[in-house]
Amino acid sequence: MSLRRKEKALGWGIVSIYLFYTAIFWGYPFIWMFILAFTKWNFFGKPRFTGFNNFIKLFQDPVFWEVFLNTLRFMLYFLPMVFFGAMLFALALNKMKYFKSFVALSFLVANISSGVAYSIIFQNIFSDIGPINRFLYDHFGVTIPWFSSPSLAMLTIAIMVTWKFVGYYGLILYSGLQAIPKSLYEAAELDGATRWVKFWKITLPLINPAVVTVLILSINLSFGIFTEPYMITGGGPMNKTLTFMMYMYNTAFRRINPSYATALAIVTALINFGIILLVRRTVEKEVSIV
Amino acid sequence: MKKKIVKDVIFHAVMIILALIWIYPYAWMFISSFKVPNEIFGKFIPSKLTLEHYKFIFFMSKKLERPFIRAFLNSVFISTVVTFSVMFFSSLIAYPLSKLKFGGGKAVFNFIIFQMLFPGFIFIIPLFVLIKKLHLLNTYPALIVPYLMSAWGVFMITQAYKSIPNDYIEAAKIDGARTLWIIFKVLLPLVRGTVSIVGLFTFISIWDNFMWPLIVMKDYNKMPLAVLLATFHHEYAAYVGPLLAGSVLQTIPMIVIFIIFRKQFLKGISMSFK
Repeated sequence: MSLRRKEKALGWGIVSIYLFYTAIFWGYPFIWMFILAFTKWNFFGKPRFTGFNNFIKLFQDPVFWEVFLNTLRFMLYFLPMVFFGAMLFALALNKMKYFKSFVALSFLVANISSGVAYSIIFQNIFSDIGPINRFLYDHFGVTIPWFSSPSLAMLTIAIMVTWKFVGYYGLILYSGLQAIPKSLYEAAELDGATRWVKFWKITLPLINPAVVTVLILSINLSFGIFTEPYMITGGGPMNKTLTFMMYMYNTAFRRINPSYATALAIVTALINFGIILLVRRTVEKEVSIV
Repeated sequence: MKKKIVKDVIFHAVMIILALIWIYPYAWMFISSFKVPNEIFGKFIPSKLTLEHYKFIFFMSKKLERPFIRAFLNSVFISTVVTFSVMFFSSLIAYPLSKLKFGGGKAVFNFIIFQMLFPGFIFIIPLFVLIKKLHLLNTYPALIVPYLMSAWGVFMITQAYKSIPNDYIEAAKIDGARTLWIIFKVLLPLVRGTVSIVGLFTFISIWDNFMWPLIVMKDYNKMPLAVLLATFHHEYAAYVGPLLAGSVLQTIPMIVIFIIFRKQFLKGISMSFK
């Protein structure tokens, strides 16, 4: 066998391990995803073809629109909080001279908290008799129904998720800041640029890739929220914390309607993708440091 | 000048206070898990410490069909097997994709990037159908097999291999090295950083994986800790002490791993947008 053919055989030999695996655990589900979305089925018997029925029903489903609005509301709270928090954190970290790694690691350790465990912790910290309400009651004479008020519950979840992700996103922005050459700022100072001008004209444009990364990660996260409402609110009060993932889970495994749930998952992914595309169009810019 | 020093001190003090606020939920969990029940929501500093909650989850919870120790070991087992499998297969499959000319490398690599575009949640229900058809529901393989190889892992290590000059491989070949030797003895040590990042993030994501095991595992004896803790929480929400002790058990391994591998963790983050 020639060297070339040997290399060819070896290459395909190794790659086929992956292709074989991915055909079963990615390709097969991928096909089933379409079968499910266009049929009616309850895990038993034969799926019955129903065309676009699931999708039509979905757009007429009031719960779907409720979930959609809940997710928008979550993003409305979460994106500004986590983005400005992360940005301030990155800028502050860039200025710190002492205790830098202590502060960085304290914020980052929140990110590796387990979803189930931190839901239990926050449910108790924010509970009616929990330490936060006790503090508020002792000092201001009020308590806040963090999880039991329909208008507050989603905000409280957004606060929890912000606690978890500020450090992680902040460090992404921070490593963007680190890559900016100091000479740019010095040159701008010679031209008499103020701090504000330097931030808008130098810092923000040059960390654009990091900003886009943070936005994409946080939007994807918003569509994947499951553990927090599942553990703490069960989607309530009054469906106000019902998320796409909870609705999908309930539909498929409690109401045994996997085909409708799969149509929901596909539409969720498309909305998610559409918003990402929109953000990339408006925020993403080519950057080059000359 | 003096004013600047004062400003600096205040700034650092504020940051340290913020950092302490950020660790507060962990501190509250940890301390409260040692408090007597009626002090959990009382004061922050307990008047006496107790191990009763740990005793409860370690010894008494078996009667409630909630074997916490076993669930902890299940989690260790599942996460470890998946992590080593992902590291092994990623290192192996990345080799032809980055270093061999076999007339398919580019197409397969693009396909892997294409796979990474899809969010994991759209596969959950169809994957459940597959696992059900394979009669794997309520078995360990249901929790392990779908994660044995990772498109992301292959992608990361392929990128890392690409930066290694081919001379290393040619030199090893002249010395008579076989393919597996080249991959695991020549290339792998040179990309140790990336491999450990892949392993670290895989371990943490499997340890924390929740929705999938919740769906495919109803057998209390084979549940990972996250799911067992959630079912315990649903039925015994008033047992705050044991719940917090269970949360400590679920959190500690991640914190230990985080502290040991903090450098790789930071490096992984700065790589995430390049």
